[in-house]
Amino acid sequence: MAITTEPRPEQTIIRPEWMTVIDPDLQRELQQVVYTTTWQKLVGIGGMIDTVYNWGRRSSLWPLGFGLACCAIEMICTASSRFDIARFGAEVFRGSPRQADVMIVSGTVTKTMMPMIARLYDQMPEPKYVMSMGACASGGGPFKEGYNVVSGIDKFLPVDVYIPGCPPTPQALLNGLIMLQKKIDGEKLSASPWYRGEVERDVPIPVLGPDLIDLRTLEITAERTAAGLVEAREATLVKPPKIAAPQPEAPAAVDVPTPQPADGAPKPMSKLDMIRAKAKNLAEPNPATTEATSPNADAAAVPVPVKDTGKPAAKPGKKIKTAEARPSLVWLGNAGLKDLEGRLNAEFGEGTATIVMAALLIPTEKLLAVANYLRHKNPIKYDYLTSLQSVHYEDCIEVNYHLDSIHDPGKLIELRVRCAEGEGEGRIPSVVSVWRGADFQEREVYDMMGVRFVGHPELQRILMWEGFAYYPLRKDYLEPYYEGPTKVLDSRIEDGQHFRAEEISPHGTNIKIPKGYNGWKTLDPGDDTKGKYLLPSGAEVSELDTDQFIVSMGPQHPSTHGVFRMNLRVDGEMIVGLKPVMGYMHRNHEKIGERNTFLMNFPFTDRLDYLTSMANNFGYALAVEQLMGDDAKVPERAEYIRVIMAELTRVASHMWSIGFLLNDLGAFFTPALYAIEERELILDLFEWASGSRMMCNYFRFGGVAFDLPKGWIERCRDIVYDRLDRRIDELDRYLSGNEIVLDRCKGIGVLTAEQATNLSTAGPVLRASGVDYDLRRASPYSIYDRFDFKVITGKTGDLYDRYLVRLLEMRESVKILKQAVRDLPEGPILPGKKSYQIKVPAGEALSRTEAPKGELGFYVLSDGSGSAYRYHVRSPSFINLTALEQMCLGHTIADVVGILGSLDIVLGEVDR
Amino acid sequence: MSFGKGLFIGHWVTLRRFLRTFLLGAGRTLKRRGGGHQILDLWFGDKERGSQPTIQQDARTEGLFTVEYPDERLPVYERFRMLPVLVYDDADGNVRCTSCNICAKVCPPQCIWMTHAAGPTGSPVPLPEDFFIDMDVCMNCGLCSEYCPFDAIKMDQNFELSNYERHQTHIYSMQDLLVSSEYYAKTHPDAWASADEVTERGKVQKKKDQRLQKALAATKPAAVAPKTAKV
Repeated sequence: MAITTEPRPEQTIIRPEWMTVIDPDLQRELQQVVYTTTWQKLVGIGGMIDTVYNWGRRSSLWPLGFGLACCAIEMICTASSRFDIARFGAEVFRGSPRQADVMIVSGTVTKTMMPMIARLYDQMPEPKYVMSMGACASGGGPFKEGYNVVSGIDKFLPVDVYIPGCPPTPQALLNGLIMLQKKIDGEKLSASPWYRGEVERDVPIPVLGPDLIDLRTLEITAERTAAGLVEAREATLVKPPKIAAPQPEAPAAVDVPTPQPADGAPKPMSKLDMIRAKAKNLAEPNPATTEATSPNADAAAVPVPVKDTGKPAAKPGKKIKTAEARPSLVWLGNAGLKDLEGRLNAEFGEGTATIVMAALLIPTEKLLAVANYLRHKNPIKYDYLTSLQSVHYEDCIEVNYHLDSIHDPGKLIELRVRCAEGEGEGRIPSVVSVWRGADFQEREVYDMMGVRFVGHPELQRILMWEGFAYYPLRKDYLEPYYEGPTKVLDSRIEDGQHFRAEEISPHGTNIKIPKGYNGWKTLDPGDDTKGKYLLPSGAEVSELDTDQFIVSMGPQHPSTHGVFRMNLRVDGEMIVGLKPVMGYMHRNHEKIGERNTFLMNFPFTDRLDYLTSMANNFGYALAVEQLMGDDAKVPERAEYIRVIMAELTRVASHMWSIGFLLNDLGAFFTPALYAIEERELILDLFEWASGSRMMCNYFRFGGVAFDLPKGWIERCRDIVYDRLDRRIDELDRYLSGNEIVLDRCKGIGVLTAEQATNLSTAGPVLRASGVDYDLRRASPYSIYDRFDFKVITGKTGDLYDRYLVRLLEMRESVKILKQAVRDLPEGPILPGKKSYQIKVPAGEALSRTEAPKGELGFYVLSDGSGSAYRYHVRSPSFINLTALEQMCLGHTIADVVGILGSLDIVLGEVDR
Repeated sequence: MSFGKGLFIGHWVTLRRFLRTFLLGAGRTLKRRGGGHQILDLWFGDKERGSQPTIQQDARTEGLFTVEYPDERLPVYERFRMLPVLVYDDADGNVRCTSCNICAKVCPPQCIWMTHAAGPTGSPVPLPEDFFIDMDVCMNCGLCSEYCPFDAIKMDQNFELSNYERHQTHIYSMQDLLVSSEYYAKTHPDAWASADEVTERGKVQKKKDQRLQKALAATKPAAVAPKTAKV
């Protein structure tokens, strides 16, 4: 590979291995003076026409305004004033494919999105070019192993330029654009395929059937499926182990069958017994006894599963440390929970509530009664459903409900409800009637685990599509590229050659279809399996005699902030119904997170909400640190650095959000350009300290990865003290009193305090409705209790308030930053030596952090092995969307765009 | 409230900004431009022009400079990371990697694969035989270089990697990955000079010296004191 770069004395260093040595003077001379060409090319008729034709096309490439994931943010930055893609004539990002001639596939291509991408490509007029930006688009990237990811856009579209990097920086994208221009320069009019009638350049639209099915290879796929090749391969693999659910203290309540020892050995202690024995300083169970029992009994005795290939964690009888049982750092406490248990048992009869690992186990049939009691009658009114997730145990599927009280915060409790383990068998009453915020979260559990929520108004799959053949988060679901239950995977080198994951899948690509599938004939590329079951049924508005229309907006739409889609029912101009359709960027974060070691998850959390990677790191670090306890005690300096990074992130994120809210209101891109200028400087700081603009990967358990480089804090001080305030003032001056902003924002998308709470919204959306609930105060973490700042709340909960809350919150963040930068102590940044082997005790933790978008929670269930047994992200963007329909009803489509902008969603976090 | 005032204010803001940019630049805006010369260059007498390839903005300067890539670039921070590379020592050409597999163990998307080298008798040699990194899977997280105990795998800063083909070129083998320690010292001056890496280099050097002494002692028992390689 020859990379030619202009000679740059001292500053730029080129890898000597890649450079042909030319005399630098000669090279400069050549580049400045000599234009190499041929007479034929210069004056020949054909050559001349080609030159002009190519020059014209390459200098005015119009990209499709189309972004998929993290890389799209870098693409937008490339278009912003700092990198200014207009210098290449490519600033005209078109919203419609019919006006565009280059498609920058920026980000992870998911199966759900693939049909849309193919459609967009087909609609682009010739000549058209495809740039594959980033590792994901090129070959699947870090998410390649996921079940909903296409391993490379080149599986479907012809790609012209690949830009490696994750994500490529704006400069790298410009480099790719220059490569594309060079390619265009070499084209010939006489040889161009698009003027030949016989060349078919359209790609057939793939179908979302039981999996993403490419119609070009339909027959061979059907053949291989019928042969059961995938199932045959899976039979030879080590499956992810399942652990038994923790059992209550009282032995009477145990009604789950425990596996019997096969050879009559003494019954091994259950996991909880062992934990309890340890807590009471009793002797460890005799390892010899444990080892003598059958492997089956072993699995029951020790939470560390037996893996038959002798993976590192598979030592039977290994000591397992357990973490202190508590649902989160700030919670009701053991005494309070005991009280509550007694109260519930007194109210609804014995056996209603049992304490299991610092949470209340509620029988399925009493869930609704208990939920209503907790919400309305309990002395502490649990009116806020923080988080809802599920765990697949060996003997049941457990759904966890984390509840908090808005008016009496910091009293978090957790409920556990269990149902049958079998695929599609679980039934649990829906709590949507009590907390409407459970709506999407229950649908997610249904989608991922197959638990049916009885009484849910609309139990449809939410992230995958209706008809997808599996429930992917179940432990017994293996992805097409599945290789082993935990990383490190087996070697991919054979005879000195490396092979890719594609080669281990019988289909040669990332698909898996159940052997018995026989609906091949019914596959229809026009079938909208993702959205057709989510049609809003609106109320009749009878004033005007108009027809109602259903409008599908997205997933490719410039103002849906990514690949988000809404099915709207409009009566005339008025919205009478709205259903969000999502999952177009579902990248299987949780499934991958359960195979990763704890450390490996850090860079993946960066890619959740890719605008706020530092805040995501923060949340995840806190969750695991909660389990690790004193092993991961964060030193002072690291605490300050963490807060500085998190608050800088908040400023950057809110600036982005305000800029793009204005974009949504119709002020196309100019306000956004103003707003994201300072963000670039903040990103520079991140890059300086952590090595990457967006994917910082900067936090480690117990501290941060590196100390701040020399000069960093001075520059940070300059920016914090001199620049940020000025820029916030400027935004305030231009926008807060602007009549267009007032006109478009006042009284639009109102959410009352009660609705906002009930819908589990979080962050600025919740506070704009006048609810004083900021986790930095309500459930303090890190060292936020040391800083002086105000929790900003709005009054009416309309769009304007949400804008204003963000603006004022930036001021408070700057206030915190000033204090933190001033007080930053010297000292170590990690409690001990840096190590990649992290021992996380068994236990359960939910971290709750106030990320810029709202409450970001990481639920981690560890079984004492190297990776999380269950890893769930309570993402604010996803849950805030529950409120979207409520806010939009009665407004116009133009307002919906603004309302969505004011929710400030990021699709990486919505779909995960 | 007069209707439509906001529209004019908005235009005025943009216009003022546009004009102020020129005022602030005061001629520097065009002159600042780095990169090569152009055919028509108004500053042809200026020898310095074209030799300022990076743009570092003072935090106090209002606004934000446009970085005219490819003629100018942003400064590359030392920790900036793109793809991993393997370092070999310039002095003797030895690859630092001992194929201990730690980088492959911490790699989150599992894109690093290597095999041990074997000696002529089949005994394992602490060197990699094959080393592959799949660039279409790598997430540039830098964990490999962070946890490498031998300072052997490092993150490169070259981001200009676009190409037209991926199946032949995006799996980097050892040949594509190797860089000299001299190159690494240039791109990562602070890390190179840091106490950790200096100690590590010293240790390796000491080991090499010992081996050399041993070899020399074995071949020429009565030779003069063997020269040690420069530390």
